[in-house]
Amino acid sequence: MNKKVSQNIAFFIFKFFGVLVIGILFSIIGFIGYNGIQVISWEFLTEFPKEGMTSGGIFPAIVGTFYLVVGSLIFAFPLGVMSAIYTTEYAGKGWIVRIIRIMTNNLASIPSIVFGLFGMALFVNKLNFGDSILAGSLTLGLLVLPLIIRTSEEALLAVPQSYREGSLALGATKLQTIRRIVLPAAFGNIITGLILSIGRVSGETAPILFTVAAYFLPKLPSGIFDQAMALPYHLYVLATSGTDLEASRPMAYGTALVLILIVLIMNLIASFFRKKL
Amino acid sequence: MIEAKNIDFYYGNFQALKNISMKIEPKTVTAFIGPSGCGKSTFLRIFNRMNDLIKDTQMEGECLINGQNIYDKSINIDNLRKDVGMVFQKPNPFPKSIFENVAYGLRVNNMGDKSFIGQRVEESLKDAALWDEVKDKLNKSAYELSGGQQQRLCIARALAVKPSIILMDEPASALDPISTSKIEELIHNLKNQYTIVIVTHNMQQAARVSDNTGFFMLGELIEYSNTKKMFLNPEKETTQNYITGRFG
Amino acid sequence: MNHKEEELKLLKDEIIQMWKLVISQLEKAKIAFLTNDVELALEIAQTEKRVNSMELKVERNCENYIALYNPVAIDLRLVLSIMKISISLERIGDYAEGIAHHIIDRDCNNIDNELIEELEIEKMFGVLLNMITNALVIFDLEETKSSRKILKKDKEVNRIYKMAFERLESYVLKNPKDALCGLKLILLIRKLERFGDHSGNIVEEIVFFLDAKVLKHKGKLE
Repeated sequence: MNKKVSQNIAFFIFKFFGVLVIGILFSIIGFIGYNGIQVISWEFLTEFPKEGMTSGGIFPAIVGTFYLVVGSLIFAFPLGVMSAIYTTEYAGKGWIVRIIRIMTNNLASIPSIVFGLFGMALFVNKLNFGDSILAGSLTLGLLVLPLIIRTSEEALLAVPQSYREGSLALGATKLQTIRRIVLPAAFGNIITGLILSIGRVSGETAPILFTVAAYFLPKLPSGIFDQAMALPYHLYVLATSGTDLEASRPMAYGTALVLILIVLIMNLIASFFRKKL
Repeated sequence: MIEAKNIDFYYGNFQALKNISMKIEPKTVTAFIGPSGCGKSTFLRIFNRMNDLIKDTQMEGECLINGQNIYDKSINIDNLRKDVGMVFQKPNPFPKSIFENVAYGLRVNNMGDKSFIGQRVEESLKDAALWDEVKDKLNKSAYELSGGQQQRLCIARALAVKPSIILMDEPASALDPISTSKIEELIHNLKNQYTIVIVTHNMQQAARVSDNTGFFMLGELIEYSNTKKMFLNPEKETTQNYITGRFG
Repeated sequence: MNHKEEELKLLKDEIIQMWKLVISQLEKAKIAFLTNDVELALEIAQTEKRVNSMELKVERNCENYIALYNPVAIDLRLVLSIMKISISLERIGDYAEGIAHHIIDRDCNNIDNELIEELEIEKMFGVLLNMITNALVIFDLEETKSSRKILKKDKEVNRIYKMAFERLESYVLKNPKDALCGLKLILLIRKLERFGDHSGNIVEEIVFFLDAKVLKHKGKLE
């Protein structure tokens, strides 16, 4: 077999699998998109579920997901960014930082259901928050903390050392240097991480299962100690435990499409930020 | 007046500077030359304690600036660095506007109000021979400037806080010949007001801009003398071999 | 030896070649003068052109070396001294030619041998040849130890020069018809004296090149 033939065969194989993967991806999105678009309407987005979830909308789930995203990031974002600042700017390259890195990497690979259990044990039971937006947000916050730390660390490490040296050489303190030079320069990438976290938080089911999510609520939550509905859990309910599974199937596709769109939009915004800076 | 006394410097176990003593007179230009890794940049960074930023290093000896040991515990490093400005090898303007780059040092050191800052920025840019080129675009990003302009901006930034000493670490090594000669001209003009210490690997540059030259090799100060003497009649054989290019 | 040094070596070889030519010119001038050899004198006049063109070549090569290699320290001093030495050598070449013309002119051919003896012209030639040859040796060996000894010889030349006036004066007074010859002889001796100064300058340049010491205008070495 000559070189050219073997090269062509190899190229064909790579191309085949590449196209195959993209094809699978598109068929999933296409399937959901096709089925989901049929139920999406203004009412679907703004009304409560009706008639055993076979009609009406998913408004409370959207609102609930929104609360959870905001709640978890209020908690996780500052914490994550601050610990990233500590590890990159202050802690140097010693063993402490290495251990912190290993821990955050491990934390990131723990299955989300474990976070759910932990959240239930700590926030719901031990701290007595009950099934609530607070408990759910904290649990989701813990879940995305490693992601935020990693992306922020990378954002900070991407700031050229020469900026820091330039600033310090002018008599700026370390804190001034971080606040006025390093953070602004890393801002774009940190925000990118934040948006990726929003996508992650809005899509998780397991952590909210035992900590906040409600099967059905007739009204919107009124405080952080209330339960809430959420899109991923609502999707799970629609698909597995409705009163009439066949009748609620289209609603499930619609919910899935809304969820995918939210995540997609978040990722687009993230990549926009990344490109811009 | 800078006076280094018996300075040893270590990176971990590696001794980068070996018992270096040197006096630098005010309002002169002093050049450090020597092969890569000879310790000339390390020695330069002794003067504004930039080496403090590197982990696992150790310094012995004393460095006096205007009679005060800058490695004394009572020294405020931020004030020291305000008084001893630095220009780096690669132009490193901040990702800010031209104006804000120059104003930065004034802001972090709380020097004066808005009108004062505006005035200082203009003065500094004029001193750095950059004003005419940027006066109409002070609010544009510093990264819109050419490499040579960026480096002069960095010099203006250093001048703004009115240091008494300016350290330059191969300030023209990343620049084209015309920008280089502008920087050299600038150094020549700044000499009346500042004490300038410049590290360079371009020996002709050292010969052109400096009053005194120190030749470093393998962490030692081999020879330190008047630049004219150094380039016409160096005392040491090693120096002669290095500057005439017959090394090895 | 790197490229830069090779170029410098070429420069040095060139000046040494010129140097040797000038020495041979001088030797010929001595013989031509002492034996009244017009042939040889004509040959000297011919060769003088070569000396001149060599000077131009050395000078041009020095300029090029400075422009292209930016020499410093000992290299710079070598190039500078080569330039100056070439000027002195060219001058010395001129004097040799002048002496040759003195013979070619044939208007003063039968000078009393006794007078030549008394004026110590042969000795003067000898001292000068010795000076310039030794200067070449220290230049080539890059060893300045004997530079003082060479410079001292110039004193001998000066002594002979000063004595020449009195001796010629008494000779011309005794032989008024040889007055023209006497004047010509004083010119010749004057040339040899200048030649001594140039040899001294060359030695000083070598000392500058090797030791970076400036010996000039220090009231001459004692």
